[in-house]
Amino acid sequence: MTSLTLSGIRKRFGKTEVIRGVDLSVDDGEFVVFVGPSGCGKSTLLRMVAGLEDITAGELRIGARVMNEVQPAKRGVAMVFQSYALYPHLNVRDNMGFGLKVRGVPVDERTRRVGEAATTLKLDALLDRFPRELSGGQRQRVAIGRAIVGEPSVFLFDEPLSNLDAELRVHMRSEIAALHQRLGNTMIYVTHDQIEAMTLADKIVVLRDGLVEQVGSPRQLYERPDNLFVAQFIGSPKMNVLPLADVRLPGGAAPAAAASVGMRPEHLSVVSPGGGAVDGKVMIAEYTGAQTLLHVEAAGHTLLVLHEGEAPANGSRLGLSIERANLHFFDADGRRAG
Amino acid sequence: MGSLTQRQLRIITQICWTIALAVVAIPFVFPFLWMISGGFKSANEIFGSPSLIPREWQWQNFLDVFTYQPFARQYFNSLYIAVTVTALTLFVSSLAGYALARLRFAGSALVGLFLVSALMVPEEVTIIPNFFLMKWAGFIDSHWPLILLPVFGPQGIMATFLMRQYFMALPKELEDAGKMDGLSRFGVWWRIALPMSRPALAAVAIITFLNSWNLFLEPLIFVSSLEKFTLPLALSNFTDPYGMPLWHLQLAATSLAVVPILIVYLIAQRQIIESFALSGVKG
Amino acid sequence: MAGKPAIRVAARDEGAPWLTLKMREAMEAWLFISPTLAGFLIFFVGPLVAVVWYSLNEWNLLTQQSTYVGLANYADALTVNPDFWHVVRNSVIFAIGLVPMNMALALALAMALSRRFAGVVFFRTVFFAPVVTSAVAWAIVWKFLLQGEAGFVNQMLAGIGIDGPNWLREPDWAMAAVIVTRVIKMVGLNMILYIAALQAIPRDYEAAARLEGASSWQIFRWIVWPLLGPTTLVIMVVTTIGSFKVFDHIYLMTEGGPENGTLVLAFYIYQQAFEFFETGYASALAMIMFVIVMVLTVVQLFLRRRDT
Repeated sequence: MTSLTLSGIRKRFGKTEVIRGVDLSVDDGEFVVFVGPSGCGKSTLLRMVAGLEDITAGELRIGARVMNEVQPAKRGVAMVFQSYALYPHLNVRDNMGFGLKVRGVPVDERTRRVGEAATTLKLDALLDRFPRELSGGQRQRVAIGRAIVGEPSVFLFDEPLSNLDAELRVHMRSEIAALHQRLGNTMIYVTHDQIEAMTLADKIVVLRDGLVEQVGSPRQLYERPDNLFVAQFIGSPKMNVLPLADVRLPGGAAPAAAASVGMRPEHLSVVSPGGGAVDGKVMIAEYTGAQTLLHVEAAGHTLLVLHEGEAPANGSRLGLSIERANLHFFDADGRRAG
Repeated sequence: MGSLTQRQLRIITQICWTIALAVVAIPFVFPFLWMISGGFKSANEIFGSPSLIPREWQWQNFLDVFTYQPFARQYFNSLYIAVTVTALTLFVSSLAGYALARLRFAGSALVGLFLVSALMVPEEVTIIPNFFLMKWAGFIDSHWPLILLPVFGPQGIMATFLMRQYFMALPKELEDAGKMDGLSRFGVWWRIALPMSRPALAAVAIITFLNSWNLFLEPLIFVSSLEKFTLPLALSNFTDPYGMPLWHLQLAATSLAVVPILIVYLIAQRQIIESFALSGVKG
Repeated sequence: MAGKPAIRVAARDEGAPWLTLKMREAMEAWLFISPTLAGFLIFFVGPLVAVVWYSLNEWNLLTQQSTYVGLANYADALTVNPDFWHVVRNSVIFAIGLVPMNMALALALAMALSRRFAGVVFFRTVFFAPVVTSAVAWAIVWKFLLQGEAGFVNQMLAGIGIDGPNWLREPDWAMAAVIVTRVIKMVGLNMILYIAALQAIPRDYEAAARLEGASSWQIFRWIVWPLLGPTTLVIMVVTTIGSFKVFDHIYLMTEGGPENGTLVLAFYIYQQAFEFFETGYASALAMIMFVIVMVLTVVQLFLRRRDT
C-alpha cells in the first residue's frame, strides 16, 4: 500500500521560504493534482517528494517510511519531466531501459519490460529512434514509458503537457487518465492549468505562495470554494466577485459575515434591465460558437457572462439574474461565509 | 557606355577589398612559406637567394635535425606531455566545474571567487616559489613541472570556469532524470553531463593541448638535459659551437614542429577558432 | 503487476540514513572539487605567500643563507637600480606600441571579415594561423627574416632602393620589430573576438539606420562602435596584461638587447631570478608586476560595472 503523508513540510532557499508548512495525505491509488499560479511552490513540492530538493523542515512519508533523507532512486517513485528529459545520446529503447540498467536488472528482463511498456504506449515502431527524431507527443510517451518500466509505486508528473500544442494536450490528458485507471498507482501531478486539474484529479491541492489554500475533489472546489482565491482560480472564465452592496440578492439576506458575493459567468443569465441581481451595459461580446462571452459593465465593475443563443448588441442595457443556490458569499478576509 | 549598375559596383568593391586583404595577409602567410623553403635550402644557399624555391632540395636537413640532437625524443616528449596535460585538465577541470555549477554546498561562492582570483595573477609571479617547490620535490630536470603547473595553474582554472559556464547552461532536468534512474552523482556527471558537454570539452582540449605544446618559460626553467627538452626548447637549440643559429637546421626542425599543427588547424579551423572565441569571451 | 518491482521502497533499514541529502551533496561537491583545490593551494596560494616572503629577504648564493631585509629589495628596484625604470619604460613602450596597433588591426580585419563573401573563411584562417603557432617558431622565423643585410626583408627593401636597418641590432628598430611581429602573431585572437561581437549585433539596427539616411561611417561611429564597447574594454585589458607578460617572443628574437633596448619586465624577472639568482630582488619585481596586473584588472572590473 503506498500512501503518502506530508506533515509540516517547509522549504527555504537562502532567505526566501517557498514552501511554508504543507500538510497533506495522499491515499493509495489516488490521483492528486497540485495546482496554482506560477511561483506558488507546486513544482518545488513535487521535487521534494521526488528527493530532487532536500526538505528544510517537516516529514515526508511514503508508505510507512520517513523519506526525507532517502536518495531519489530509493524512494520508489518515478518522474515525468516537463521537458521530458530524454537522454539525447540514447535511442528510445535505451532511454526507457536506462534506469533498469543502472539498477542491474538482467538484460532479458529489461528487454521484456521495455517491450511491454512500448506496446502499451504504442512505441514499438520507434524503439530505435533518437529523441531528436520524435515529435512532441512521441517524446512525451517515451518519458511516460521510462517511468512505467521501473514499476514504481508512485508516479510524479511535473507539468508534463505544457510543451504540447492544444490538441495534443487534450489527447495526452486522456491517455494519462487511462494510464491511471489501468495501473491504479498513486500519482501526483503538477500543473498550472486548472482544466487539466479538474479533468484528471481525484483530489486537487490548490497552492498559493507556498501554502495550501484548499484540498478537495474537483466538485468540492468548484461548488464550495473555501476562499476567494480558490473561487477565482477554479473555473473558467473566472468567477465574478462584487461587493455585497452592489447586488440585489435573490432569496433574502446574505449570511451575517458576508462582505462580497461571487457569481460564476456560466450561472448568470440575461434578463431585462431591473429584472435580475444587477443591471449593466454590454461592452464587448466575444462570439466563440456555442456561446458568447459578454463583458458587462455593472456598478463600476466588469462582469463576465457566458451567454447561449443570440447575443445582445454592444451598448445595450440588460439585467443579470442568478439562482440563490449559485451564489458564493465571502467575508471581509476573503474566506467563505455561510 | 552607361554608368555602372549596382551589381557591377558591388563586384568591383568586393574585388578591391579582396586585394587589400590579400596584401595584408602577406606577413601572416609568408613566414610559414619562408620557413619551409629555408628548411630545404643548404647552409650556403640560405642567405644567398631570396627565392622561395630552393635551387637544390636539401632533404638531408631533415635527417640532420635528428642526429644533431635527440630531436625524435624531444618531439615525443612534447607530444606525450601535451596529451597528458590535456587529459588531466579535462578530468580535473570538468569535475570541479561541475561541482561549482550544479552542487549546493556551504562555501561554494567563496571557493569560486578564490579560484577566479588565480586568473588575475600572471604565472611569472608564482614561478619563482614554484621553482623552489619543484626543487624541493626533486622535480628539477623532469617533466613533472611541465605537467603539474599547467593542469593546476591559471590554465586549469580557466578550463574549470569554461566547463562550469557550459554545465550551467545545460538543462537540469536531464540530470534529475538520471538521479531518478538511480545514477550516483559521479554517474550523473560521467554519463549525462559530460556526453552533453562535448563542445566545451573539445574547446578545453584544443586550447590546453596547444598551450602545452607551445609552452616555453617552464621548460626553459625546469629542464636542462637534451633528452628531456620539449620542442620549443629544442627548436632554439640548433646552434653552432659559438652560439650562432644553424639556420637551415633550425628552419627544418621548426617546419617539422609547426607543419603538423598547421595541417590539423587547416582541417579543423572552424572548431579551433570557435574554441578560442569561447574561451576568450570569458577571459 | 507482473515481475517484482525494480524501484522498490527500501523497507529494510527503517531508520533514517546517516547522511542527510544535503550533507551528501556537500560531501560530493568537496570530493569533486578537491583535486583542483589541492592544486590551487599547492601551486598558487602557497607560492603567492612565499613570493611575498622571498621579496623581503636577501638570498646569499655563497653562504646559502637568507637574511630578512624588509623592503630593501623594493627600494632597490624603485630608487637605486637604474635598470628597473628602464625596464618599466620599455614595457610601457611595448604596451603603448602593441595595444592600439593590435586592436585597430583586429577591428579592421573583423569588420572586413564579419560578413559573408567568397574567401572569408580563407582569410580568417590565414589571419588566425599565427595564433596557433608556437611563439618560438614564430620568433625564429622572423628573426631569420629580419637578419641584417642578408635577411629577406632587407633584400626586398633593397630591391626598391631602400637601405633597411639591421632590425634586431639597433635598439629602437628592435623594439619596433618585436612589437610588429608580436601584433601579427596575436592579432587573430582579438579579431575573432571582434567578429563574434559584430555578429551578435542585430542586422536590423544597421537597416534601420540606413533607412534614416545614415552613412557607413555614421553607422559605425554611432551604432557599431558603442555596441562593441564591452568587447573593446575586455580586449584592451587582456591585451595590455598580455603585453606585460610577453617573454618567449623577446627572449628568442633579441634576448632583451641590443643595449637592453627590448628588456621588458617579464624578461627582467626571469633574468634576475634564473640567470643571476637574485631571488629576493626578482620576487620584489614579481610583486610589482602582480600589482600592475591587479590594478589593470580592477580598473577593468570597475569600468565594466559602471557600463552595466
